[in-house]
Amino acid sequence: MGKAIVITSGKGGVGKTTTSANLGTALALADKKVCLLDLDIGLRNLDVILGLDNRIIYDIVDVVQGRAKLHQALIKDKRFDEKLFLLPAAQNADKSVLKPEEVKDIVDELKPDFDYVLIDCPAGIEQGFINAVAGADAAIVVSTPEISAVRDADRVIGLLEKESLDEPPMLIINRIRTHMMNDGQVMDVDEITRHLSIKLLGIVFDDDQVISTSNKGEPIVLNEKNLAAQGYRNIARRLLGETVPLMNLDSEEKKGLIQRISSWFKKN
Amino acid sequence: MQNVVLKGYKDGYEITLNADADFKAILIDLSKLFAELQLEKEKSEAKSLSFDISTGTRLLDAEQKQEVEKIVSQYPLFSIHRFTSSVMQIQDALEMIENRTVHLNANTIRNGQVENIKGDVLFVGDLHQGGILRASGNVFTFGKNEGIIHAGFPNDAEAIIIGNIHATQQVRIADVVDILEENQIEDSAETVVFVNDLHVLAYTERAKVKMIRPKLFTRMGGY
Repeated sequence: MGKAIVITSGKGGVGKTTTSANLGTALALADKKVCLLDLDIGLRNLDVILGLDNRIIYDIVDVVQGRAKLHQALIKDKRFDEKLFLLPAAQNADKSVLKPEEVKDIVDELKPDFDYVLIDCPAGIEQGFINAVAGADAAIVVSTPEISAVRDADRVIGLLEKESLDEPPMLIINRIRTHMMNDGQVMDVDEITRHLSIKLLGIVFDDDQVISTSNKGEPIVLNEKNLAAQGYRNIARRLLGETVPLMNLDSEEKKGLIQRISSWFKKN
Repeated sequence: MQNVVLKGYKDGYEITLNADADFKAILIDLSKLFAELQLEKEKSEAKSLSFDISTGTRLLDAEQKQEVEKIVSQYPLFSIHRFTSSVMQIQDALEMIENRTVHLNANTIRNGQVENIKGDVLFVGDLHQGGILRASGNVFTFGKNEGIIHAGFPNDAEAIIIGNIHATQQVRIADVVDILEENQIEDSAETVVFVNDLHVLAYTERAKVKMIRPKLFTRMGGY
């Protein structure tokens, strides 16, 4: 029996979908069978980031309304033989066409066949959020180091705690800009974790490549050397129960030669 | 004991209705009593009288009270001051206990959440920015207070807040609100917030509670 995890944030644009795609891919790379469930009805993106957008025939609304069987709507990612599947969201429907019980039924139907069912939640705390949380056993809250994102994360954690999931929600801090955090311009990792008082699952550094690779339909996590990718891989390993230390925030080694030389002069 | 007994006290008249008697019999006796009183009254100088109705171990419901009031309303000189009884509904009693208890609360109140408490609260949890801790009585807090603290909700201006409110967004007591600027309140665990005589929020220290709220101070065991 698999585990259903909802990935949510409250605020939009903090990287829920990117996290879903990369975490799913990382788990698939770790030889787990994963199903990604896109619940952002009307504004689906997960398929695009995974590069599966042109293979959609049926979507979740078709399944709920009986136009297709669940296995017909699942899209297999050929890169990870039989490991990664996607159930896409509908493009021309409204969030209110789904009911929480219907989403729960689909998740319950998927769980026996998969190790992980990752549910990509839409932004906001309305119907779409309620639908996404309905079938979940656990929750991952994504936040960035911005105050507004942390506030919304706090709000969402409050709502999740009321839902009485099997496990308390876990936190991913995304889009960390090391220099800003080291300069104290934004809240640091400890501060955010302490403020939200939930378990920190991992951190992901901000990286231009995350955008450029997702434009090509390849999750960043496939690029082993990338720092953001390592962040996602670490998160996946922690989900699987391994103990992995947090990544180092020191940005010093990332600087180029000229920057390093100029920084010597600054100190003097 | 008779069904209806009239007694005179220094500060007025009290009519006791026998709790063991049949209510219909009481109403009949009550009518007789008032008829007699009216006769006596007419002899003497006309002056209006008000009665306390004591029902002992019986609770009158609204309908029964109306019936009693109907009898009295026939006589313009007489009126009912109030109904009293020596018993109360369990539900009312529980509510009374609730309102008089200091509730220990260690919750995390997150952005957008409201924690409603009847009575006083000793708060040892986390109050996050955007969260509201709202008590009908006083708020005593050891917790992390970054949200909004509301004591004496909705209208008890006697309520106070004691604790560290250095990082708090707003304090409210009854209908008075104060928006706290950064560093407006010093970082002390002994800050006391109260509504002063001008009905404005004021800040003082723990040692002054005795002066500003003597009743509360004695209730807490001070002297």
